[in-house]
Amino acid sequence: MAGRTPSQTIGPYYRFGLRWTDGGKVGFTEAGKKVVITGRVLDGTGAIIDDALVETWQRAPSGALPAAAAGGENPHGFGRADTLNGAFRIETLMPGGPLPSIDVTIFARGLLKALRTRVYLAPEADARSDPLLASIRSSPRVKTLVATPQGAGEYRWDIRLQGEGETVFFAF
Amino acid sequence: MIDPPYAFDEYRSTLKRAPKEPLLALPPGALDVPGPFVPPGFIRNGDNDLTIRGKSMPLGERMFLEGRIVDAGGRPVRRSLVEIWQANASGRYHHPGDTHDAPLDPNFEGIGRTLTDDEGNYRFITVKPGSYPWPNHAYAWRPQHIHFSLLGNAPVQRLITQMYFPGDPLLDIDPIYNSVPDPEARKRMICRLDLRTGKENYALGYRFDIVLEGAKSTPMGL
Repeated sequence: MAGRTPSQTIGPYYRFGLRWTDGGKVGFTEAGKKVVITGRVLDGTGAIIDDALVETWQRAPSGALPAAAAGGENPHGFGRADTLNGAFRIETLMPGGPLPSIDVTIFARGLLKALRTRVYLAPEADARSDPLLASIRSSPRVKTLVATPQGAGEYRWDIRLQGEGETVFFAF
Repeated sequence: MIDPPYAFDEYRSTLKRAPKEPLLALPPGALDVPGPFVPPGFIRNGDNDLTIRGKSMPLGERMFLEGRIVDAGGRPVRRSLVEIWQANASGRYHHPGDTHDAPLDPNFEGIGRTLTDDEGNYRFITVKPGSYPWPNHAYAWRPQHIHFSLLGNAPVQRLITQMYFPGDPLLDIDPIYNSVPDPEARKRMICRLDLRTGKENYALGYRFDIVLEGAKSTPMGL
């Protein structure tokens, strides 16, 4: 068994390196219901973080895990959006399965290791039924993982790294 | 513990960004699924050569950088995306947020990407990045480094790290490097000079092997 390589911060200068054309537009081989998730990433003082990178990974509308995309497209099922303008924006399709959710990874200057979490495009009561959240099922913090519908397939979901209303992050 | 803690006082940017609530422990393997997969057409010829983007060669010590990416079980991480970004030889990023008073190089953007081959090997052609000052503390300078982003073949393998150079005296005073608690794990972020990876009378050679988390969902390493 080889020792794993440690994590380091993404730093402030990643944009030209990791910014993809249409990185926030998630592709699939199948059709589905269009959804858009926007949100801010906030620090412990409530200030907007404008140098974060948010990545998403999710099931296709059929419920299957996406396979490789064709041609020169971005990887299917995968989104990458920065917060350069104060908020991230992910344009995707509603994930399939009984409990629609999207796995989210956050990188930023000052994060020596990525933060991982999950956002639910479902009512809070449904999110509480996810076995992943079994140990916090009755905690008020579950609501930090539930996106707020804005109508017309739009959802709002802020990520708070620290302090009041701190988002639930996963140990890994 | 291999990775740094979120809160590390010596690196001041962690103070307002590190979570304070306990992290949620997940059932084993909960997020262990395969993907995402990068289509071969995503990478174009020359994407791994950072020295051919301008009208002439960039300034600095030209270097070939090669390595192999494996998982914790030693299996190659195949056809997986490797992205790098770095400062130029003067220690300046081609980025509007970098206000360090060192010259930009019109022939160097400092961005590269490639896919590993079937054995997990990757290769870049670049120049050695310079050190630069940063406002973390008095007289703070970052050691020479290249940022690495590894997509892996499963979300549990996703890793962003930095590659450092052997013998850099700034490593001792760098809070980011030293945030990794285990000195042996820290050394795994330092590349190795290997002259024969380079080209005689043309480029220095360095090797940087990377080990990602093992993923049950990718039993063949993909």
